[in-house]
Amino acid sequence: MDFEPKILGIACNWCTYTGADLAGTTRLKYPQNIRVVRVMCSSRINPSFIFRAFQLGADGVLVGGCHPGDCHYGTGNMYARRRLAITKKMLEFAGIEPGRFRVEWISASEGNRFAEVVGEFTGQVKGLGPQTKLKIKTD
Amino acid sequence: MLRKIEQGRFGELIEALLARGPLYAPVRDDRGVNFQLIRKASEPTLDFYNTLQSPKLAWFPQSEDLIRYRLAKGETKGEAISGPVAPTVVLGMRPWDVKSLAIMDLLFLGGGKEDPYWLEKRRLTTVIGYGLASEEEPDGADFFRTLNIGAADSDGSDVFLLKKDGDLLLEGITERGKGLLGELTFLKEGTEEDERYLVAAKAGGKDRKTRFFDLDANAAADKLKAVFADNTFWEKEAEGCISCGTCTFVCPTCHCFDIADETLFRDGVRRRFWDACMFTDFTLEASGHNPRPRTFQRLRQKICHKYSFYIEKFGVVSCVGCGRCTRLCPVNIDIFSLVARAVNL
Amino acid sequence: MTAFKDIEERLKEKAKDLLEKGEVECVFAYGRGYDERHPRPYVAKTKEDAENLVFNEYCTFNLARYAVKEPRKKIAVAAKGADSRALVQLIQEGKLKRENLVILGIPAAGMVDAKSGLTLDEKTTGAFANPVVYDVLLGDKLPEAKNSPYEVLGELEGLSGDGRWEFWRKEFARCLRCFACRKACPMCYCDPCFMDQSRPRWADKSPTLDGNTMYHLTRFYHLAGRCVDCGECTRACPVDIPLYLFHKRLAKDCEEMFNQAAGMKLEDKPVLVDFRVEDGDEILL
Repeated sequence: MDFEPKILGIACNWCTYTGADLAGTTRLKYPQNIRVVRVMCSSRINPSFIFRAFQLGADGVLVGGCHPGDCHYGTGNMYARRRLAITKKMLEFAGIEPGRFRVEWISASEGNRFAEVVGEFTGQVKGLGPQTKLKIKTD
Repeated sequence: MLRKIEQGRFGELIEALLARGPLYAPVRDDRGVNFQLIRKASEPTLDFYNTLQSPKLAWFPQSEDLIRYRLAKGETKGEAISGPVAPTVVLGMRPWDVKSLAIMDLLFLGGGKEDPYWLEKRRLTTVIGYGLASEEEPDGADFFRTLNIGAADSDGSDVFLLKKDGDLLLEGITERGKGLLGELTFLKEGTEEDERYLVAAKAGGKDRKTRFFDLDANAAADKLKAVFADNTFWEKEAEGCISCGTCTFVCPTCHCFDIADETLFRDGVRRRFWDACMFTDFTLEASGHNPRPRTFQRLRQKICHKYSFYIEKFGVVSCVGCGRCTRLCPVNIDIFSLVARAVNL
Repeated sequence: MTAFKDIEERLKEKAKDLLEKGEVECVFAYGRGYDERHPRPYVAKTKEDAENLVFNEYCTFNLARYAVKEPRKKIAVAAKGADSRALVQLIQEGKLKRENLVILGIPAAGMVDAKSGLTLDEKTTGAFANPVVYDVLLGDKLPEAKNSPYEVLGELEGLSGDGRWEFWRKEFARCLRCFACRKACPMCYCDPCFMDQSRPRWADKSPTLDGNTMYHLTRFYHLAGRCVDCGECTRACPVDIPLYLFHKRLAKDCEEMFNQAAGMKLEDKPVLVDFRVEDGDEILL
């Protein structure tokens, strides 16, 4: 059977999640591998969530937030940008394939873009195969 | 019963032991020497003073799985994980580390309850003790002589190993040790001269000097109890301590452990693993109260447990003077001199 | 370079002076241990205590971690290069007040780790020679290290991702969860630490490899932009895991992406508590 990656999507309520909704209401098709978790702002994201997601079996993690300058709370995504940049560098240095973690700024009106990014990312992760490095081995 | 083999044929001895079952022996890597489960005969070494970590992990592993379970809606069933313990050999334990086994026996097997995991491993493990050669000097941090342990004592070992010129002498001490040596038919007989050498080495081991502090164990036990409430003393002694727990983990006689059910989704394992009274949350209670929130309280507890309470309960000091706590302490705290200062207060 | 013996004399003099005049309640410095190669952290409370202070190449301890324990007292702290950076970082984070500290700066190079015998330099840690902030300088300033403190990362960076993963996996497998690294670090002052929390339970208590990985990765992240390269974590580790390599890598990343190093200026804000509009999205690639 073809490998179907498990993708965790973390989307900020005001922009990306709404954008994802828009993709849905406009009946845009995108791969169903993504499971979206809604947070109020991308700055809610603790990088430990990402490590934990990989430990619990995620093959890829996609984070979506408002464009810098457009954060509903003013500056949340600015902090998130720094945090997630460090997280990306960490995963790379630890040896996790960089293609497994991606951050995109997707606004509420960018339903198209959401579908596009998810499609692209899913394809990318599919190509990388199952994530076995951080995944907790169960007997 | 005395056997011997040329030092150059050490690998053969290891091969033979490996063929019998699991073998723990000191292995050198770029960090230092430590006891490891041996896979190849080329791994073990006898060129070391003492290992960084203690050999207690052969009987009391850092992490030991006890029960496996799967959470269920009705009754959650668990099954005991008890693999058969294979007859194991631990080779290269210094006499003071060997003594730690007898001290731990009092705890794990005494008091009317036997720890089945410890017991099983003790029953099935052969100890090959390794005496300090006469040319070797005890390390500056050690103090086993003041705890009445000789540098070449064979007590507690099943087989006693000692270097002599280009040879390795192997003395069978217990029935089990003699049995093991009997199986290794390629070993040569020890000569009378070897016998005399061994006797002299053991006697000489008792003449070695380690750091000098005449510890009268019982007097120390009483004195420590008497100064228990002297907070000023303990606070001063604990000044540098960062309460990290390294001393506990490397100590051959420290034995505290925690047990936890570690579940992922529905499957889990009940495990026991090392704990340390030096950890801040060691005495943290479910209510949120912690009787020993401060470092000096935990350090005091550790010292008094090892040098006072243990004597009260079991009649011996819970320490063998191996010096690991002092050598590996990140801030160079010298536990033994702390005891000396307490006694001399 | 000022001889260590001279620094020791000046340290004793200054400590006695401060204590006699009552300017500080205590002086955190170094004292004699069980032999010359093993000094220990020492707190002098009277001028008689100050006689017991020492300074030699084995005084590698970062005393900033003790300063955090007495935030309200007026204290003097002996600080080498990296130690002073730690103090600055703690002041930035609001854990210490500059006015409560008398920083006895010690320019030092050639410190030696007694356990491994290694000299600390830019290839290891703590190579930063001169204190960045001080009230008194107990020796002459030294020329800074010629090479970048990040050069030592070359080997790891040259490996493939898989190679690095194998490397770190092997290192984490040796971790005993003794938490000496956490206790030795001046920046690890969180109470409770994430590892002590059961809701959520980030990692199990027993030293499983997966739990060790979670612990270390998260701790590396928590120290990003805060680690001052003092090396205490690595020296404290009883199984010699080279934690400093990962911390250095993140320090390098922070410097490259955000143009700021930890603990250099009192008025800085820690890197991850701050942002610039100019950060740019390229850092996410």
